[in-house]
Amino acid sequence: MTAALLLLILVPAIGAAACALLPKQGAAARTWAFAVSVIDLLLGVCLSAQFDWKTGTELTWFGSSFYIENLQFGLKLGCDSISLWLVLLTVLLTPLAILASFASIKDRQKEYYAWMLALLAAMNGVFVARDLLLFYIFFELTLIPMFFIIGIWGGPERRYAAGKFFLFTFAGSVFTLAGIIYIGLMAPRGFDLNAAVQFVQHNPEMARARFWLLLAFLAGFAVKVPLFPVHTWLPLAHTEAPTAGSVILAGVLLKLGTYGLLKLALPIASPDAIGLFAPYIGTLCVIGVIYGALVAWVQQDIKKLVAYSSVSHLGFCVLGLFALNTIGVQGSVLYMINHGLSTGAMFLVVGMIYERYHTRDINRLSGLARVMPKLAFFFILFTLSSIGLPGTNGFVSEFLTILGAFTSTHLGVSYGAFAALGVILGAIYMLHMAARIIWGPLKTPDHDDSHGQGDAEPATQHGSELPTDIGAREVGILVPLALCVLILGVYPNVILNSIQKPAQAITQAINPPAQAVAEAR
Amino acid sequence: MTHLLAAIGLPYIPGWDELRPFAADLWLIVTIVAVLITPFFITRSNIACALVALAGVTLAFLSQLLVRNSPHVIGEHFRGLLVMDQFAMLWKLLLLLFVAGVILMWFTTTASNMHEGDGPEFFALLLSATLGMSLMASTSNLLMLVLSVEMASLPSYVLAGFRKTHRIGAEASLKYVLFGAVTSAVMIYGLSFLYGLYGTLQVGAIGHAMAAGAIGVGGNALLAVALLGLIVGIGFKVSAVPFHFWCPDVFEGASIEVTTFLSVASKGAALVLLIRVLTTIAAGLGFAPHAGMSLAALAGVIGVMGAVTCTVGNLGALVQTNIKRLLAYSSIAHAGYMLCAVSLLVRHKATIVGEDGNSIAAQAILLYLAVYLFMNLGAFTVAALIYRQTGSEDITHYAGLSRRSPLAAACMTVFMFSLIGLPPFAGFVAKFNLMWVLGTNGGWWWALVAVIGLNTIFSLYYYVRVVKIMYLTPSDAPALNVNPLGLGLAVACAAALVLLFIGLAPLSRVTTNYGKLYLTSQTQQQPAQSTAMITGERR
Repeated sequence: MTAALLLLILVPAIGAAACALLPKQGAAARTWAFAVSVIDLLLGVCLSAQFDWKTGTELTWFGSSFYIENLQFGLKLGCDSISLWLVLLTVLLTPLAILASFASIKDRQKEYYAWMLALLAAMNGVFVARDLLLFYIFFELTLIPMFFIIGIWGGPERRYAAGKFFLFTFAGSVFTLAGIIYIGLMAPRGFDLNAAVQFVQHNPEMARARFWLLLAFLAGFAVKVPLFPVHTWLPLAHTEAPTAGSVILAGVLLKLGTYGLLKLALPIASPDAIGLFAPYIGTLCVIGVIYGALVAWVQQDIKKLVAYSSVSHLGFCVLGLFALNTIGVQGSVLYMINHGLSTGAMFLVVGMIYERYHTRDINRLSGLARVMPKLAFFFILFTLSSIGLPGTNGFVSEFLTILGAFTSTHLGVSYGAFAALGVILGAIYMLHMAARIIWGPLKTPDHDDSHGQGDAEPATQHGSELPTDIGAREVGILVPLALCVLILGVYPNVILNSIQKPAQAITQAINPPAQAVAEAR
Repeated sequence: MTHLLAAIGLPYIPGWDELRPFAADLWLIVTIVAVLITPFFITRSNIACALVALAGVTLAFLSQLLVRNSPHVIGEHFRGLLVMDQFAMLWKLLLLLFVAGVILMWFTTTASNMHEGDGPEFFALLLSATLGMSLMASTSNLLMLVLSVEMASLPSYVLAGFRKTHRIGAEASLKYVLFGAVTSAVMIYGLSFLYGLYGTLQVGAIGHAMAAGAIGVGGNALLAVALLGLIVGIGFKVSAVPFHFWCPDVFEGASIEVTTFLSVASKGAALVLLIRVLTTIAAGLGFAPHAGMSLAALAGVIGVMGAVTCTVGNLGALVQTNIKRLLAYSSIAHAGYMLCAVSLLVRHKATIVGEDGNSIAAQAILLYLAVYLFMNLGAFTVAALIYRQTGSEDITHYAGLSRRSPLAAACMTVFMFSLIGLPPFAGFVAKFNLMWVLGTNGGWWWALVAVIGLNTIFSLYYYVRVVKIMYLTPSDAPALNVNPLGLGLAVACAAALVLLFIGLAPLSRVTTNYGKLYLTSQTQQQPAQSTAMITGERR
C-alpha cells in the first residue's frame, strides 16, 4: 500500500480546504488542523513501517491516469531512506508547530490553520516527488502559504519580510525551472527524476550541459538553503514570522534547499561539474559558517540570533554535501534532521518566552530560570544541542560534516579547520545568550531595576491565560523534540546506517571506486 | 486573373455546406441585427440588448460546439477566402466564451449608469468587433485579412471612447484611432506589395510562388517591405514594442469591460492571425529557408520583438499604481511571451509543425490564450467591482481588501499568482508549456526561455505588490458590498484557473486534438501553374 505516499500529501491538502470552510468562530479550526496533522504523522509512521530499512528499496507510487504523454509528465511519487527521514521530520514538526500556535494566534485562525496544512502538503510533496516537474511544483507551492503566514501573522516588519522572502526564493527557482525544462526535453524518459539523473550523469554529450544545469539548480537551491551571499532574506523572515512559521521555516523549508542540492544538483552534476564547483561552494559555506556566527554573536534579539545561527549551521550542512564523500553526505543528511529538531525547538522556546514577556531583547530579559525552571531546562538542553555538545544530536552531525571536509579530495584541511572555528563561535554566541537570559538576576520587562532585583513575582498579567512557567501543552510540545535530541545524540546510527546506501550511491557517481577507474583504464 | 475573381467571389453563391462551418459567425451577424432592432420593441433597451447579445453569443458558442471536424468542414471555403480548421474552431470557442464573460461583466459594472439608448450601439459594436476577431482566425486571403482586421479595429476605436462624457476616454479613442489608422495604412501598403510581387491574394499561393522562383534583388527588398508592413499592422494589434504606446492610455481611458475585451480578444485575434498567415506562407515554402526570404530572419525578428515586448511590458508595469494601467502593461508582457512562441511557427520540425499541421507551438499559444482569458477577465472583474464601490482604480485603495471583501481579495490573489505563473494555478501550466515548446526547438530559442524566466522575476514584484496591499496592509475602510453577480464571475474564473491546473492531463488531450492547422500545402493548387501565372504577370 504505497498509496500512503499520496495520502501524505492529499490528507493535509483536503484538510486545508476543509479548514477554510469551518465556521469562523471558536477553536474548531485549530483542533481540526491539529487532528489532520496528527493523522499525517501517523501516515508517516505507517510509511516507515512499510519501508524496507535493510535493503533501502525505494517505495513508489505512480498515478497512471494523470500521465501526460507529450510532456512525459506524471504523478510519480517515491521515497528512499533520505526522503523518508525528512518526511518524518516534517510530519513531526508540523503538529508541534500547530500546537504551539494555540495561544499565540488569535486573529483569523481559520485561514492560518488552512495555510499551515497547505504548507504541510507541499513540503511532503517535495520530499516524495519523483518527477522533476512535480518536484518543482511542490517546491513553489511552499511559497504561497509561507508568504501569508509571515505577512499576516508576523511581527512589525512582516510585510517587508514576506515580500523579500517571496521575491528571493522565487527569483532563484525560476532558473531551476529552466534547468528542469532542459532536462525534461533532453532525457528520453522526460521528467522522471531517477531516469533523468541517470541520463545526465552518464552521458558524455551532456558534459557542458551539466555545468549549466548545476548553475541553474544552485540558483534555486542556494537561495532556499540559504548560502552566504543570498542569505539576506532569512534573518528577516525568521524574525518576523510567527513562532510556528519560524519553526517550519527553519525546520523544514531550509531543508528543501539542501534536499534539492543532494537529490538533484549533486547527482546531475556528477562526476565532473560538481568537482569544479565544490571548492567555491565550500568557500561560501565556510564564509557563511563564520559570518553567520559572528553576526549572531552581536544580536540583541534572541530570535534574530537563532536565525543567524541557522545561516551558520546550514553552512556546515552544505559543506558536508560538497565534501563529496560518503561521510560528509551522511553527516549532512543527519545535520538536516538535527538542525530541524534543535533549531525548531529553539524557536519554540523563544516563542514561549515571547508570549509571556512580549519582548525578545536580550538586554531586557535575565534570570528566567528563577521563574520558569521547566522552560529553562529545555532552553539549555536545546542550546547545548545547537552548540553540538557530545551526547546531544548536534555533535555527531557537526563532527561528521567537518570530518567529511577534512578528508575530502575536493575540499581539504583548511576548509575543515575554518569550519571548526564556527563550532567554537557557535558555543560562544549560544552560551552568551543562554547565560544572560536564563541565569543571572531576574529581569523581565515589568521587573526593571526600579522594582529591585530577584523579585520573583509571577508574570501572568502579561500572557493573560498563560501560566508563569510553561504548562502541560507546552511541555508536551517540547518533550518529543527533547527525546529526539537525546536519542539521536546517543545513537545516531539509527539514521546513519539507513542512509549509508543512498549516500554511497551519490558519492560513487562522483568519485568512482578505484576498481572501476582501473577497469576503465 | 481567374484566381483574383474567385477571391472577390464573383459570380458565386455559397452553398449550405460552406456556410455550416461558419454557423457561429452567422449567429453573430444575426445577433448584431437583433440587437439593433431590439429598441423598437422594448423601452428599457439597454438590459434587453445585453440579454439579446448574451443569448446570441451563447447560441453562437453552442453552434460552434456542434461543428464537427469532419473533412467537409476542415479546409478552405468560399473559394479560399476563409479557412476552417481545429485551430480556428478552438479560437472561436474561446473568443465566444470570453465575450459572454465580458457581457456578464457589463451587467455588474456599466449596466446601471449607461445612458438609456446607448445599449444597442454598444452591443452592436462589441459583437461586430467579435465577428471581426472571429474571422481573423480563418483568413487565408489578403483581402479577407484586411477586412477582418478592420472589422475588428473600427468598432474597437468607438468602444474605447464610448464613455462620451469622459475626457480621458475621448483621448484614448483618438490615440487608438490615430495609431490604428497609421499602422493599418502601413500594413495595407505592405500587403499591396505582396500582391504586386506574386499576383495572388491567397496566402498559401503566395507561399508556393515564393518557393517556385526567385524574385531578384529588388524583389527581395520589396518582399521585406511587404512583410514588415504585415508585422507593423499585427504588431499594433498585439501591442508589440514599438507599437505598444497606445495600450496603457487606451486601457485606462476605456470603460473597464471594453478594456477587458481589448486586452484578451483583440490581442489574441491578432496573434491567431499572425500564426495563420505565417504558417500558411511557411508551409507553402516547405518550411525551408528560401532565396526569396529567409524564414529564419523572419522568426528572428518576431522572436526579438517578443523578447523586447515582454521586457518593456514588465518594466513598465513596475511603476504603475493604477490597476488598469498595471494590467495594460502586464498584457503587453503576456503578448510578448506569446510572440516568442510565434517565432517558432515558421520552423518545420515534426514536433513543432507536423506534416498534418499539428503544431505544438500553436497549441501552446492557444492554451496560453485560454488561460490568459480567465486570468484577465477575472482580474478586471475584481477591479471593476472595487471601482464600483470605491470609485478608485488606484491599487493603494485595495488596502485591507482581505477583510473588506475576503472573497474578492482571494480571487484577485489567484489571478495575480496565476499571472506570475505560479503553481497551483493554470498560469503556471500555460507559461511552462510555452517555455517547454521554445526549449523543444533548442538553439537560440533557449535565449527566449531565459528571457521569459527573467521577465517572470521582474513581474513578480508588481503582481505580489497587489497581493501584499490587499492582505498585508491594514485599513480602516468599511467593508465592501460587492455585486454578487460580478463576484460570482470572479469566483468562476478563479475556479477555472485551479481546475485547469488540476485537469492538466485531460486538458493536454484536448489541445492535442485541437490546435491543428490546415496547411495549404495540402491543397490542390499546383505551384508550377501559379508560378507561370505570376512570371507572366510580372513581365
